[in-house]
Amino acid sequence: MSPIGFVALIIGIPALVLLGYVLITGSTGLRRYILTRIVLTLPMVLILGSLVFLIMRVVPGDPVSSALGPKGTPEMIQHIREQLGLNDPIIVQYGRFLGHMFTLNFGNSLVGGHRPIADEMSERFPATLELIVPASVLALLIGIFGGAHAASRRKGPVDYAWRIYAVVIYSLPIFWLGLMLQLLFGVKLGWLPISGRIDPIIGTTLVHRTNIYTIDSIISGNWLALKSVLQHLVLPTITLGLILSGIFVRLTRINVIETLSMDYISAARARGIRERVLVYGHALKNALIPIITLIGLQVAILLAGAVLTETVFSWPGMGSYLVERISQRDYNAVQSVIVVFALLVAMISLAVDVIYSLVDPRVRY
Amino acid sequence: MKKNRLYKTFGVLIAVVMILTACAPTVSQPIATPPTAVPPTQAAAPTAVPPTAVPPTAVPPTKVPPTAPPAKTTIIIGVTDKIASLDPADAYATRDWELIRNISLGLVKFKAGTTDMEPGLATDLGKISADGLTYTFTLKDGIKFGDGTPLDATIYAAQLNRLLTIGPTCPNDVADTLTIPYVKSIEAPDAKTIVITLKNPVAYFIQILTTAPYVASDPKTFKADACNLFPSAPIYGVGPWFISQYTKDEQIVLEPNPYYTGELKPQVKQIIVKDYADPQTMALAVQNGEIDIAWRQFSPEQLTPLKSVAGLTVGTVPGGSIRYLVLNHTMKPTDDPNVDKAIASAIDRNEIADTVYGGNVSPLYSQIPPGWLGATEVFDTMYASPNLDAAKKYLEASGYSASNPLKLEMWYPPEHYGASTAAWMEVIKKQLEATGEIQVTLKAQEWSTYVPALTGGKAYAVGVLGWFFDYPDSSNYMTPWVYNRGEGTNITIPKEGSSYGDPINDKAKQLVDLLSKADTESDQAKRADLYKQAQDLYSDLVVTIPLFFNAEHVVYRANIKGSSTFAYPETLNIGPDVMFNYATLSVTP
Repeated sequence: MSPIGFVALIIGIPALVLLGYVLITGSTGLRRYILTRIVLTLPMVLILGSLVFLIMRVVPGDPVSSALGPKGTPEMIQHIREQLGLNDPIIVQYGRFLGHMFTLNFGNSLVGGHRPIADEMSERFPATLELIVPASVLALLIGIFGGAHAASRRKGPVDYAWRIYAVVIYSLPIFWLGLMLQLLFGVKLGWLPISGRIDPIIGTTLVHRTNIYTIDSIISGNWLALKSVLQHLVLPTITLGLILSGIFVRLTRINVIETLSMDYISAARARGIRERVLVYGHALKNALIPIITLIGLQVAILLAGAVLTETVFSWPGMGSYLVERISQRDYNAVQSVIVVFALLVAMISLAVDVIYSLVDPRVRY
Repeated sequence: MKKNRLYKTFGVLIAVVMILTACAPTVSQPIATPPTAVPPTQAAAPTAVPPTAVPPTAVPPTKVPPTAPPAKTTIIIGVTDKIASLDPADAYATRDWELIRNISLGLVKFKAGTTDMEPGLATDLGKISADGLTYTFTLKDGIKFGDGTPLDATIYAAQLNRLLTIGPTCPNDVADTLTIPYVKSIEAPDAKTIVITLKNPVAYFIQILTTAPYVASDPKTFKADACNLFPSAPIYGVGPWFISQYTKDEQIVLEPNPYYTGELKPQVKQIIVKDYADPQTMALAVQNGEIDIAWRQFSPEQLTPLKSVAGLTVGTVPGGSIRYLVLNHTMKPTDDPNVDKAIASAIDRNEIADTVYGGNVSPLYSQIPPGWLGATEVFDTMYASPNLDAAKKYLEASGYSASNPLKLEMWYPPEHYGASTAAWMEVIKKQLEATGEIQVTLKAQEWSTYVPALTGGKAYAVGVLGWFFDYPDSSNYMTPWVYNRGEGTNITIPKEGSSYGDPINDKAKQLVDLLSKADTESDQAKRADLYKQAQDLYSDLVVTIPLFFNAEHVVYRANIKGSSTFAYPETLNIGPDVMFNYATLSVTP
């Protein structure tokens, strides 16, 4: 099975099970809502893809000239443009793009050996997934507990500290934070690796099945590789996770404060329930419901952050691929990555809405 | 109380995870690994097992047990260059050539660290017919690919013929640069002999034969009817190494070819070439020991801090790329020779090298860099720049003055040649404006738009370019802007339907004739003289204005050594051809 096939499997099967469950057991309103969202995703991706198609062609620059540089003779440039179909009328190119998009075939890259883009993304996507999942978990852990902690000490030094943290961390440029962590933990203290996904030597012993290295090392029982993979994940995860945690601290704090002012909390407090239980057992649980929705909206920011994090840590994922291909004017690759990102955001938003309806029975669609 | 316990538990948990990950052994430093850590496949070193005794299946490169500890003698090299093709028939990028020339050999090659020719797979440097059209080579005995398959002339010629057959259809179209213009046929009259027939005599064809497209490729991996730019490992050649693993955009692993019988054999058991997206990250990685060597490409401004890091050596390679101004002689105002000469007179190259690059680049006074055949410092002798008085005289001869200054637009790509490009363009602007009779407007344009606009010869009067040779010969530094790609510089813009323009004037025609003569002159002394004459004319015409030579740099840790038997051990034997020969590398405890 190809790596992308595996990823599709581990994401797709649970998603389909969840979807099936909701469609069978959910209310009519919910079923209608989900089907509408799925149907609306198609024009959304189409519009987005078409916009990227147009923008890439309106922006000056030619992929062939860019790749060949001053060494490209006019004959060579024409020859390669012909091979790639770049001399075709724009409407023909657009038709080809739509065909590729609907078949999820994506066509071939315009640079780097003109490989199938599906293959290139299949190699890169698992790395991005391996980065964004722990980063999201870290961001949520810090954000939710930090926000609740701040709310429980409202207007005290702890609250102000968390609020300052949230603003400062969210304002930091990712590349700067990444560089500082690299300098401190990688160069100065020598504790952690600063680049790549695995130690190069240990990497030679890893059997690539899914290209998600944590899973590959667990499947093959290669614990040395697992340790190395986890070590390499620490700094990129912290970088991306910290930046995202700022927004979750603020959101959680506000929601928990609001919940703490409700009557049932006052009643519970009057009954002598401990403050910790009130905050983390009652208020936080209820405050989490709107936060779940916001998690879905943060996926786009998460992917944008991954683009920068991957560049700083030489992490060979979709983000660094996108940056590389934008600079080379690889229209096909850029369009494809953006379509995949858009689909991902749409899918996760939908999944979050579905989960929201399951978590809060009061929600009606 | 319980709340505090929760926090403490959480804190302890985080601390334990941090300590566990931080205290784990740093296996990226192979010298620290115990000797018993050598995995089983490493035992198949060339010296340990006689080549003939090892059956082809005895090299299972990807069958390393998953729990095998790291090898002791592994060298990790970081690079930011991308692999564009591992198929020799379509390999063009510097990194491709470096890898291909380490896993395979051509008929002739460079002696490590030099551009001196020596036989590769051939017994000698070949026999050239009197008319200069036919090159005949005899293959050495016992040449085998890394899997044990013997190489004979029939296989070799068939593989080289891929350049003529499928080469032009491959994505990088390298054949149209290095083969199609020169080669008429490649034949193997018997199992030992290769005969290459040229379309026209070419004095530097032997240099072209050293390039990666002419190495022997494995017919099992590189089929006759298709380009295979990114083959799966193992990838075998007939050189000292084979590629045992290839994880695209992450790393490539080379191990010694057990069947290699050449003189220079690998001294370590494994070379890993690791990809980096960003040179800054690569610089940090070599500082903290994640990699042993940081290779291409640092920009000059990134080197200064590395020079002061204890335990690191920054080696300046005697090869690299050049930067120069391109002047369009078919557009105003640079169609006026006085304007061109005024610009050439006003520029102070030392100021660029010192103030912008802290001395990490060298001033360049000819399009042919120092050390190459016939190279002179003609722009220095002819213009003695910076010479503002001379610049003013040229300008005043064309009617320019302080009240009627020359207005000049100068274009540059802001990122392609490094972030410092804008800084040295500002320096040039300041130098030209110091004449008091030139007003410069700097204009930046993104690379993919910039290149066609500049090379098309119709948009920019003055622009900036860099050049890294395709084949190691002086002709490759001069011809592009004289007649290959000289639109607007030395030749007119080609008419519709035509590929080539005409020389812009009589001197330009003389220059084309001189370089054409040098292309076919087989006597190296006479060729050198022709290039000297050509540089005089080139400088007089101000076809382009050479600015500085940007030498490549290699940064390595103290335990890495090059070979003192060969030239440039201080740059790990990387010579003017700017290619690593991994077999000269060794690691000390």
